[in-house]
Amino acid sequence: MATNTHCPYCALQCAMRLAPAGRIAVPAGAASGAGDSSAGTALEASGRDFPTNRGGLCRKGWTSPALLNSPERLTAPLLRGPDGVLRPIGWDEALDRAADAVRAAWERHGTDAVGVFGSGGLTNEKAYQLGKFARLALRTPRIDYNGRFCMSSAAAAGNRAFGLDRGLPFPLADLDHAHTVLLLGSNVADTMPPFVAHLQGARDAGGLIVVDPRRSATAALTGGGAGLHLQPTPGTDMALLLGIAHVVVHEGLADQDFVQRRTDGYRPLVRSLNAWWPERVQSVTGVPAELVRETARRLAEGVRSARAGLSAGGTYILTGRGVEQHVDGTDTATAAINLSLLLGLPGSSHSGYGTLTGQGNGQGGREHGQKSDQLPGYRKITDPAAREHVAAVWGVAPEQLPGPGLPAVELLKSLGRPGGVRCLFVHGSNIAVSSPDAGAVLAGLRSLDFLVVADFVLSETAAEADLVLPVLQWAEEEGTMTNLEGRVIRRRRAVDPPEGARSELWIMRELAARLQAPSTFSDDPETVFEELRLASAGGLADYSGIGYAQLEHDDAPAYWPFPAGSAGTPRLFLKAFAHPDGRAKLTPVSPGVPAEQLHRAGELILTTGRLLEHYQSGAQTRRVAELSSAQPEPRLQLHPATALPLGIGDGDMAEISNGRGTVRARAELTTAVRPDTVFLPFHFPGEQSANLLTQAATDPVSGMPEFKTSAVRVRVLEKAGIL
Amino acid sequence: MNPKTPVRIAVVGFGPVAARLIEELLPPVRSGQVLLTVIGAETVPAYNRVLVADLGVGRTTADAIGLADAGELRAAGVNVLLGTTVRRIDRPRRMLELDNGTWAPYDRLVLATGARAVVPTLTGLNPDPAALHLLPPGVTALRDLGDAARLREAVDGGGHVIVLGGGILGIEAALAAAEEGARVTLVHHGDRPLARNIDNGGGRTLARALRSAGINLISGARSTGVSFRPQAGGRHRFDALELEDGRRIGGDLLLLSCGVRPRTGLAEGAGLPVAAGIVVNHRLAADTEGTIFAIGDCAEVRCGDSSCRSCAGAGGPAGLIGPGWRQAEWLARHLIREAGPQAADDVAPLPELAAEKPAVMLLKARNVDMASAGTIDAELWDDDEAVPCTDGCGGVVPPRRVAQWADPEHGRYAKLVTRGGLLEGLVCVGMPRTAAELVLLYERGSELPADRTALFRLDAAEQLPDFSGPADPDSVLCRCTGATLGQVEAAVAGGCSSAGAVGEQTRAGTGCGGCRARITELIKSRLEAAVTGAP
Repeated sequence: MATNTHCPYCALQCAMRLAPAGRIAVPAGAASGAGDSSAGTALEASGRDFPTNRGGLCRKGWTSPALLNSPERLTAPLLRGPDGVLRPIGWDEALDRAADAVRAAWERHGTDAVGVFGSGGLTNEKAYQLGKFARLALRTPRIDYNGRFCMSSAAAAGNRAFGLDRGLPFPLADLDHAHTVLLLGSNVADTMPPFVAHLQGARDAGGLIVVDPRRSATAALTGGGAGLHLQPTPGTDMALLLGIAHVVVHEGLADQDFVQRRTDGYRPLVRSLNAWWPERVQSVTGVPAELVRETARRLAEGVRSARAGLSAGGTYILTGRGVEQHVDGTDTATAAINLSLLLGLPGSSHSGYGTLTGQGNGQGGREHGQKSDQLPGYRKITDPAAREHVAAVWGVAPEQLPGPGLPAVELLKSLGRPGGVRCLFVHGSNIAVSSPDAGAVLAGLRSLDFLVVADFVLSETAAEADLVLPVLQWAEEEGTMTNLEGRVIRRRRAVDPPEGARSELWIMRELAARLQAPSTFSDDPETVFEELRLASAGGLADYSGIGYAQLEHDDAPAYWPFPAGSAGTPRLFLKAFAHPDGRAKLTPVSPGVPAEQLHRAGELILTTGRLLEHYQSGAQTRRVAELSSAQPEPRLQLHPATALPLGIGDGDMAEISNGRGTVRARAELTTAVRPDTVFLPFHFPGEQSANLLTQAATDPVSGMPEFKTSAVRVRVLEKAGIL
Repeated sequence: MNPKTPVRIAVVGFGPVAARLIEELLPPVRSGQVLLTVIGAETVPAYNRVLVADLGVGRTTADAIGLADAGELRAAGVNVLLGTTVRRIDRPRRMLELDNGTWAPYDRLVLATGARAVVPTLTGLNPDPAALHLLPPGVTALRDLGDAARLREAVDGGGHVIVLGGGILGIEAALAAAEEGARVTLVHHGDRPLARNIDNGGGRTLARALRSAGINLISGARSTGVSFRPQAGGRHRFDALELEDGRRIGGDLLLLSCGVRPRTGLAEGAGLPVAAGIVVNHRLAADTEGTIFAIGDCAEVRCGDSSCRSCAGAGGPAGLIGPGWRQAEWLARHLIREAGPQAADDVAPLPELAAEKPAVMLLKARNVDMASAGTIDAELWDDDEAVPCTDGCGGVVPPRRVAQWADPEHGRYAKLVTRGGLLEGLVCVGMPRTAAELVLLYERGSELPADRTALFRLDAAEQLPDFSGPADPDSVLCRCTGATLGQVEAAVAGGCSSAGAVGEQTRAGTGCGGCRARITELIKSRLEAAVTGAP
């Protein structure tokens, strides 16, 4: 029996079919990696036709079933003994210990001493119930999640400009006909390869423009006349966007009719853009002035082509983590939105602005109450009407709902500190590897009174836990995910979970009972979804019209907002933006002071990113033999001209360090990086963990940490070939 | 603590630098800590002077270059006086006498009076700065909106524009006008344009570029006078520029681009020290009490300390907008701290404004690319040697070295002047990517790559990957899935006759789809080999 579901990894949520092993031919050599964990694979995956992935899968998706019966799979709760060793225990004991730890923290330090760290990888049902669990069962405001490291800046910018944040406010397939696509800080060719097919139209029209300090696989797609690659020095994306917008205004390329009818704030915006003429932008970014102008003209040409009814028409501006994971990430995303609004892209049928959500349920996960300041339906926790609505659905008094908590970086900084969190629950996140300044986070985790981690493998974070709770994998559970388009899709159970693993919904139900929580906690996903529908009704992210039955069929796509009785919203803003007056807001922004001083003598800028073969902290993909044998370790990309005076050759071991930490990685010499920049993927743990070097400085609006610019020193440790 | 009485701040001048200062001061204005008056001589609020040439050739609109909105400022509580000049400063009483005879009091005074265009000494023109606005018809400077309108008229009418002056602003105006269809002659007296900011090689490359942009370039010309032709019912109109060698360059508009001079009259009248500009210390104060400040084009930072290193290298006012904006931002922070709720003695003084590096010149033009900065007079084989450090550091100053790339045929030229691997100066013409990187390296003071060709190659044609050579069967053909060439070849050999079939068997081509064309090619060549019987 084959099961139709979606990939466990990124937000593209490629449609896949899972079938018992042997039904799909396994390519020769594909399963012959070291360790060969796929030898006993019970299931095999294959791509399934769907508008987003069109039958495609990347290597991560193809190999995803390998983890289902990996020998590293956890199948019993683990409790750390007095000797520091984790040992299997029964579920009753595990749940009792967790509840005891919560009560102990309450009694000693108050309810705020309990914290929850969630994930954009959790299903809507789990994310929703986790927010409820934190506030009603743990009675704490202190819940946040790893989406803070991912989508928070673009989300804040979208809310500011449009009054609503849905990653792509249009179906992905709309990109196919585009004449021009400006992709900023996103390496889709590695992170979500099937996405690339949607760029083919723009490439054929010569209109793919990629902004990245690296000649990434995605930037390389602009070669051969397919478009332009702009290579600004890290941390200067906003200046580049201001320069493009400057040209749009001054060369009369703005859509004045749209600006007047649908936006506020044009005059102050124009005044602020005035200061960013192309030559000034060049001297800040390193992008030649003429390319700034060419980009602006090309963007406008796309809009004109659409108006003229050409087959390739329309302009899309898409941002990714590269421009958002900065201390000025919200303002940088705002600069991209301002540019889009000047050109009249959002709310049109042929063009648009979007942010490419990263994690599997990075969209749904940011809508239903995992955020420290949020209640289900993308409601604000400080809004009395929102509190009243949600409290009524939950059958509690509004006063029983705590207020806003701490955003992720602040939450993690508070671990073990006076007034901070003493007992932490982590669900679906590997913060010991994925957090900025990971060394400090690790120290924080070790200073906790009690750490509970729910995971299905012993991740680096789980390895620090006092109690590890083994949970289900994607192919073992039912639920819904919301993909990068804001489309709600069904995740389906294809195989029975191993004996001993439990669903997080069940764990929450059991713990809530032990903690005598008010309201109800179900372990049945559909029951939880039915409650989510009610809780989200009337909110910005309204799911009230979506039911499991409808999601059975791919041909009735469910894009939120989907109020009961409606047909959902594939394209947002066609008539009005989501602010009360229906108008989009143009907000002037300008570059601020960098998070730390860059360009001191002897230092390079470290920027971090991803590899095709790995996902997030690598907790899953490093345990898939085919992927880990293809990319067993991080490699430091540096320019040959930079490497020469450092005495670093290709393949040498290098040490990358700054005041926060030291990382070792093999050097890869490549002209794909700028000479002032080095690149490390962040998927690896221990002394290979790039996040030992990143900083916990955050964006004042979104709480996004600065992942993309860190000052580092690099030296050679060991020449290749010398034993 | 008692709330302080609001501080009265008066700003004289309403150009781009004043606009930045005012913007930064808006929060304390809104909170009532500051009472702000701004007095502008022009009838419109600040606009971006950098874009006046663009306006003059019709590339932008007056609307789009505005930097401030009088209505919004007034709504925020700023007293905005436009079309108003200050007659004099009464320092003892801390009052300004305005041209309408009224008085405006201040606690802190900021002079941001800018600079005016220099009118060269030519027969037929009145060089008196006070007569600037009385230039005869057909002669204009290029500083303000009125000047831009005059240029616009000539360009739109397809007229012949004569630009006098080979500085950066003159070149920019000439290029812009030529690109927009005007006939343009650029007259200057050096042997190459931009002589002060560019070396011989760069200057020659630039001159060629200007000529190929359609500009009639007349170098080494000394102009002596202006002749006029009678005009129906009014003043005489510009007819020709006369040169020392007797040539007459006839045209429709003479655009004077002969430099600017700081407006210092008000400060001089008040007994404040004035050199090229109003002399201010590193805290931008023009007086010893720290009551009067000057910023932007009218200000010359020069402290009293003769051993001050940052003053030693500095000339007059920079005349560039970047330093002026940094001064405005610094001064705003200083004034906000003064006006803040804490007693003056409790507030640690702001660190002094950092000294400016010698400025980078970037030509603002569409089809000609030029950057220069720092020391550029060193030559390739100069015999510079390491010398002991003079300030007692005990080390040595490494020798100055020059690296150069010149390709006159293709209009490319780059010169790098370095000391110890750091850029001291650069010239770059016709190599936009190289210029962009060099300027970044110069401004950061970062070490250059030892392989200088890495910089000279940045504008090289794109290197495309070559798939034609023999490939290793273990090499990855499909990045997305990791399928190798060998796997795909085996599948094709095994009978897969479509990219889809190959994908089902090997996963190849099932990710982004980018390698499907190559898979199809492999299938095709296999079929062809089968037909021709080749192995």
